Amino acid sequence: MTERMIADEDDWALLLKAGMAGDHRAYVTFLRKVTPVVRRIVHTRGRHFGDATCEDIVQDVLLAVHLKRHTWDDQASVRPWVYAITRYKVVDAFRARGRRLDLSINDFTDDLAAEPGPDPMQASDMLKMISMLDVRSAQVVRRIGIDGYSVAETGQDLMMTEGAVRVALHRAFKRLASLRERHLE
Amino acid sequence: MNTDMLITALARDLSPEPALTRGLWLRLAIALVIGVALVGLVLGFRPDLVAALLFPPVSGLRIVLGVMLFGIALRMALLLARPEGASLLRTWPLIAVAGLAGIAVIWALITTPVADWGRAVQGTTLFWCLSSIPVLSIAPVAAMLLTLRRGATSRPELMGAMIGLAGGGMAAAVYALHCTEVNPLFFVTWYGIAIALVAAVSSWAGARVLRW
Repeated sequence: MTERMIADEDDWALLLKAGMAGDHRAYVTFLRKVTPVVRRIVHTRGRHFGDATCEDIVQDVLLAVHLKRHTWDDQASVRPWVYAITRYKVVDAFRARGRRLDLSINDFTDDLAAEPGPDPMQASDMLKMISMLDVRSAQVVRRIGIDGYSVAETGQDLMMTEGAVRVALHRAFKRLASLRERHLE
Repeated sequence: MNTDMLITALARDLSPEPALTRGLWLRLAIALVIGVALVGLVLGFRPDLVAALLFPPVSGLRIVLGVMLFGIALRMALLLARPEGASLLRTWPLIAVAGLAGIAVIWALITTPVADWGRAVQGTTLFWCLSSIPVLSIAPVAAMLLTLRRGATSRPELMGAMIGLAGGGMAAAVYALHCTEVNPLFFVTWYGIAIALVAAVSSWAGARVLRW
């Protein structure tokens, strides 16, 4: 392990710990540091999927990191934990998209591969999944995740208490993860 | 949805998540009580239970082996519940338990006359043994599968099998409160087969329940 990785590791552990204790900004920083690493792994392994699908998988991984954060042993290092989640989700994606993958390989040309996507951060599946949620959850996720409102603003808009918004948001994320799991099969 | 927006949204959902093992010990204790009650009420404790427990070498061995298997397999299941757990797994404790059972069998082979080996393996309560241990393992296995669903294993089948071994171990120890077959040729064989059966079913269930 290089010195930089060790420093990163300490960084990740401190940020994740602070995030799990409720520090919003530390948690955002943690996920932002994790994202490019995860993205690189997903792109290396799933090159032929295309940018949007790769980003879908990246988002799957982030959702899983978030929902399974209690499986991180705070005595253990963070990297192997993140890598293991990434590997699991990438393998899942391969299994699920195996058939579709075969079809797209036939159409595969260098031109297509070289064509830059509209936005490397943009994924396609999540919006589809959000529309499969019940109306209230979908509203909450759209307000917070797409329009960028805070919990308080969302509560005012939808005439919900902040607590109710938080509960709805948490349920929506769990539901999204299981929808994606089922949708992939 | 833009990934950075997803990150911001995820960070709005930071209510504390309870530890993975929350509720596990209580549920396992309930499973144990159910098991002991079933044995006591349906099968009946062996009449010489107290004496047998006080002079344990032979008849306590089944309970010791069952409890050891429960503890070791549960530890492995808890490790496997972490995504990176599979790479941290050590199998030697499980092999040690199997070795201990093997030593008991060798000891029995030495002390049992060759002509009686067949009868010793067959015993007299085969049917009850093979049916009771799987039934008694339903509660502990269900308790562990349902609690540890919140985990994130990379090996759902293996983790299911470990949960099966743990539940089977507990069931075997509880069934030993009724069973008077103390010859290792009998109990290593048939308890072993019953536990293996539980592990196989639990592995199958784990592949479904423990995916995430």
